[in-house]
Order: sequence, then structure tokens, then C-alpha cells
Amino acid sequence: MIIRKEQNQDKVILAPEGRLDTVTAPELEKEIQALPAEVKDLTMDLEKLEYISSAGLRVLLATQKKMNATGGEMKVCRANETVLEIFEVTGFSDILTLV
Amino acid sequence: MTTDCNKDIKTIALSGRIDSGNAAQAEQDLLAQLAGVTGGVVLDAENLAYISSAGLRVILRLRKTYPDLKITNVNSEVYEILEMTGFTEMMTVEKAYRKVSVEGCEVIGEGANGKVYRIDKDNVVKTYKNADALAEIQHEREVARLALVLGVPTAISYDVVRVGDSYGSVFELLNARSFSKILAKEPEKFDWCVDEYVKMLKKIHAIEVPAGKLPAIKDKILKAIERMKDLLPDGLGDKLLAMAREIPESDHMIHGDYHTKNITLAGDEVLVIDMDTLSVGEPIFDLMGMYNSYVGFSEYDPEIILKFQGFDQTLANRFWHDSLAAYLNTKNEDKIREADEKVRCLSYAKLIDWSIRHAGDGSEKDKATRDLWMSRLTELLKRTDSLILDIQSASGDDRGELDVEATDENLEKVIAFVNKQLEAVDCPPKSQMQLDVAIEEIFVNIAHYAYAPETGKATVRVEVSDDPVTVSITFMDRGKPFDPLQKVDPDVTLSANDREIGGLGIFMTKKMMDDVQYEYKDGQNILTLKKAL
Repeated sequence: MIIRKEQNQDKVILAPEGRLDTVTAPELEKEIQALPAEVKDLTMDLEKLEYISSAGLRVLLATQKKMNATGGEMKVCRANETVLEIFEVTGFSDILTLV
Repeated sequence: MTTDCNKDIKTIALSGRIDSGNAAQAEQDLLAQLAGVTGGVVLDAENLAYISSAGLRVILRLRKTYPDLKITNVNSEVYEILEMTGFTEMMTVEKAYRKVSVEGCEVIGEGANGKVYRIDKDNVVKTYKNADALAEIQHEREVARLALVLGVPTAISYDVVRVGDSYGSVFELLNARSFSKILAKEPEKFDWCVDEYVKMLKKIHAIEVPAGKLPAIKDKILKAIERMKDLLPDGLGDKLLAMAREIPESDHMIHGDYHTKNITLAGDEVLVIDMDTLSVGEPIFDLMGMYNSYVGFSEYDPEIILKFQGFDQTLANRFWHDSLAAYLNTKNEDKIREADEKVRCLSYAKLIDWSIRHAGDGSEKDKATRDLWMSRLTELLKRTDSLILDIQSASGDDRGELDVEATDENLEKVIAFVNKQLEAVDCPPKSQMQLDVAIEEIFVNIAHYAYAPETGKATVRVEVSDDPVTVSITFMDRGKPFDPLQKVDPDVTLSANDREIGGLGIFMTKKMMDDVQYEYKDGQNILTLKKAL
């Protein structure tokens, strides 16, 4: 999958495009793990994300936990209706910081 | 003796008796008539009653100068002499055609090119309007034989006869009814007719024809478009020609006149008749003719269809629509309309070309009919950019079942398969995504756990039922018995830090489907998802 990345000192924007599923979720996971420890402001721009399955949710949850533990912040923005629906059903809309 | 010059072939008619008494005179006459002739010579023996050895010697001498000498229309007495003396092996000797009178015979069929008469209890004769009937008959006999050999159930004429000044081909009378008659008299058999009609069409289209045996229909249609294209406004004619040229070449069989009068039911066997238009090409060319048979020809005057097919325009429209849908293997009205429009671009072009060439100066009605076709075609061409049809394969996936190795890599394949099965139904994007989520969770579950640490096969079956439209997807595997529904649902109200990573898949599936059932039966895990659309 294509993951666009913008970095400005400790601010990072990651924008995964297409389908975040069992096959592609490890790619996003790798991208997040590769971020330097000083990144405290992570934005997940989901504008071009069409689909997310539980495998994708796992990556988001793991990242959220990591940011919470290190005093950082993760924001999730521009998710489309179908993705928001999944966040809703799974309680993720309460866990994630949707902006 | 009378003569007739036809191109390089000189035909001389022999008459009466040729024996020792007049053989010398006959030879002189023949040589006189053949003076300067260098091409072939045909002796027409229709009125020759008898020939003795003196007469045969004349022919032998003649043959030295004209090695391709042919004797035609030989009656059975003369033929016997020629056979006994070995002449039939030395040269081409054609028997006279049996004469058949159709006066007072019942007409049991009538087409654009001739009539079919019942000549006695067991036989029918098909007559031809064209002057070149013999060539046409021979062509039809040849292609019908080819079709039969290649697997199309058809009737082949067993004899060629003279009918008045023309020729006819004789067929055994089949106790058969055309699909047109069935549709007209037993409308309750409509769906059955559509099924059988389309099944036979697909069978014909699946046949690969050896190179050079049949003409390419595309060439014929391109010529028709070239003749009529300049009548269209704004360069649309050139657009049509360019799109038609883009249609791929094909060596698959095309019937060329596939309408319900040419499909008959004999006993419980479906037979295709009228093979003279047999050719090779892409399916769109048969669909083109079908549209014209049911809709195009009668688009201005619906009375025409009643006269031609015996059923009315409403039924004809429905038959065209349903046959097209069945041929395309889809219930998706958008797809049907898209194909219908592509087909009609060719249909109208063909009709307009036909109308220019056959309707002469034309009556008011002819002109109005052509104007209607022109305006319809013009509209269609403005919004059509390709004449390539999207036809779903008729086999394999058609069963709605996919056997696949359960691995993560095959997830995409499974989702694509299910989506293809759902093309025919209108699936809202939200439901589509929910189905995708559920399919992924269940399939990945099988891939990860059912056969771990090995992998194994999974079967995915898709069924759609109506009222309300409900999709049912069944996953089957022969791995370890495992009921994923037993898993305890995660607490979705916990904070991020307290939430477990994982365990969401089955929960999402249960939430998004209307029904999820698991059973272990005959060594198989069977999990069924149901969702109303």
C-alpha cells in the first residue's frame, strides 16, 4: 500500500491510502515502528483510506497505546464515512482522538 | 443444339438421341459451335434421351481438345450408359436434379430469401428467390455440414431438386416447433425459452472454426458502416467505424441470423436451422442481429414483429432484454443497458445500410423508419466510446463457489470473487464494506488457525436470495474443529490502555452481519454469514 509521510521535526503525518487489511497492515506497522522516539505529534490522515479491517485497527490501537505510554499524541483525521462506521462499532471513536 | 456463353465457359445443350445415324452430324455441329472457344465446355444433357457408342466416341474426341469437359443434367437412363462405359470416372458427369412441383403444397415457412413447402408426408422443400439459388444451396449445405461436425445440432438437406426454373433443397420433415410459435402460444414457457435459446447461442459461440472455413462477419459489417457512415452528422460515422474496427477478430462461430424462428424444438432436442449466414466473429455481431429481429426492424411499426414472429412487441422487447441479460450473465440493469447500447450502435448501422440498399426511393413510411434509426443511432454514438462487450464467463465462477488455498495472500482473490458474484445485485457501498470486513475476518481466521502450522483448502460459496435481497456467504474448511463464535466479545467501552490488542475481528463480523452461524459437519467447519441488502 502507499503510505505518504510528512515529517517536520517532531511532527509527523502518515497518510495510508487504499485498503488497510491483513495483507497491508504490517506495512503501516513497520512505518510507525521506524519513527524516531522524539516524535510526539503523530497525525494519521485517513482521507484516502477506503477500507479498514481489524488488522488495521490493531495497528492503530497499538500506536495509540505507545503514544499514551510515551506522553505523545496521535490524532486521526479525515476518515471517510465507512471507516468512521467501523470506529463507531468497535468503540474506537472513543479511544482515538478524531479531529 | 443451343448454346449459352457464360464467362469462359461454353454451355451446349444436347437433345434427342445421338447414335450412329447422326453422330457425324452432331460432331460437326459441336465443332462449329466451339470454334474459337478456349475455356471450359459444358454439355447440358437435360434433353438428351439416348447416346450410343458412336455418340460417346464424339465426346471422347472432343475431350482431347477440352480436357475439362463436363456433362450436366444427365437423366438416369443416359447416366446409366455413361456409368457402364466408365465415362463417369473419366470426366465430371452431373446427374439431373429431380423435379419437384410445389403447386398447391402447404407453405410451412417463409423467410426473406424464400419459402418452405411441405411436399409430402415426410419431406419439405426450401426454395430460394435468388437467381443464383444453386450456389446458395450448395453453400448452405456445406456450412450446415460443417456446423454439424463442429457440434451444432442442425438439419441438413439430403437432396437438391429443381423447382420450376429454380432449385430447392429437400429436408426431412421434423416434428418440430419454432421457439417463435412456443412463445406465441405458451407464454408460460418464456423463461424456459430464454434459457435454452441463450444456452444454444453460447454453445455456438464457444465453437472454434478452423481457419478459412467461414467468412469473418466483421468484414461485412465494416463494409456496411463504410457505406452508410457519411449520413451521420458531426463525424459520428467515422467514430462508429473506428469503434467497430476495434472489435477484436475471432475464430469463434457466429450464426448470423439467430432469432426464434430459426431455433426449433424437435421432441426434446433444440435444433438450429438456417445456417447460410454462418460466419466467425465476436458475439456482439450475433447480438446485433438479435436486436434487429426483436426490436430494430419493428421499432417504427410494431405490427411488423407480429407478422414476422407471431408475438407482439412487448413480448419481443422482454425476450431481447432477458436474453441479453442471460447472455451477459448479469442482473445488473446498468450493465445490461450498457451492452444494449453498444449492440444497438451496430444494429442501427446495419438497418440503415439495409434500408438504403433495399428500400429504393422508399415510401413515406420507409423514410420515417430510417429517420428513426438515424436519430437513435446519432444519440447513442454521442455517448458511446467502445463496442467491446463485457461478458462474464459462463463457467467456473458461475457456480458461485471458489476453492482456494487459505492463505493471507489469497484474501484479495476471495474478496474479488465475492464482489463479482454480487455484481448482479445492487450492493450499497456501506454493505459492501461490511461484507468485506466479515469475509476478511473469517477467511484470515481459517488461514491462520484451521490448518496451523500447515495451510489447507477453503471453499467459499456465495448465494443471493430475493425478497429482501439477502447475501449468504458460506466458508468451509477441513481444518481443526473451531467455533469462532464462542470467543468472548471484547469490552468496547474500555480505554485504549485497558483494551486488548486483537479479538476484534469476530466481534465486528457479528456486529455487521445480520446472522452468523457455525456448524461442524462431516469433518468440515461451516460458517455462514447472512446480510440483507
